[in-house]
Amino acid sequence: MVHALEKIYRLLKPDGILIDIHPPPEPSSIDVRIGEQAHAAGWLRETDDYGDYEAADEALATIVARRLFAVERRGAFSFLTHVDTLAELRNYLTEEWENASIDDVTAARIEELMSTPERDKEIILRESVRIARLAPIPKA
Amino acid sequence: MSVHTDPEDSEIAALFDFTGTIDGKRVLEIGCGDGRLTWRYADRAARVVAIDPDADEIAAALEDLPPRLRHRVEFKAVSIQEFEPAAPAFDVVILSWAL
Repeated sequence: MVHALEKIYRLLKPDGILIDIHPPPEPSSIDVRIGEQAHAAGWLRETDDYGDYEAADEALATIVARRLFAVERRGAFSFLTHVDTLAELRNYLTEEWENASIDDVTAARIEELMSTPERDKEIILRESVRIARLAPIPKA
Repeated sequence: MSVHTDPEDSEIAALFDFTGTIDGKRVLEIGCGDGRLTWRYADRAARVVAIDPDADEIAAALEDLPPRLRHRVEFKAVSIQEFEPAAPAFDVVILSWAL
């Protein structure tokens, strides 16, 4: 990852910027919205990705410590995925997020909440995503 | 099947907030996947090179490439390590969930 950032440094104009978007090594939450109210159902389990996210943070810290880039700004935003059923959520994860799964307790809670007779309801997967703006530091 | 990813447009709003203006800029997007994010900002950029090592994702992006963006967006199935652009000076590099 550090090699990738070194290459990006060479590809950027001196006054260019690097925008890094990646999730933190924390589980994403799953809510069920019924009408206006969101109910916590549980968390998404990931088997491999947390290590990658930690390595990404470490790589960024390394290139900042080496004074290749300076962090100009950090922030975060919520990235939501809305689905109508638990089966759709499972299919989505199978196709798009192979290292993620829903444990039995969370699945049961989702099914319980989705069994309400209220028609206006959906499942919401909420990822907290980090974003940072970095500027290359000219070599002395 | 009904799956809606980021219908609130939080990701593109954060991107524009953090880049400032992207108008007229040369942009390199690393980890573009099927172009999900690319489509949302490419209209504003002067030129976009979007790369991803997954050839299937790039094939999907090329299939969905809107005609209005064909002269402006170039997709390549390549990793950042293997990527050697003809013109290396980019104004903005976006690491899109790719580190």
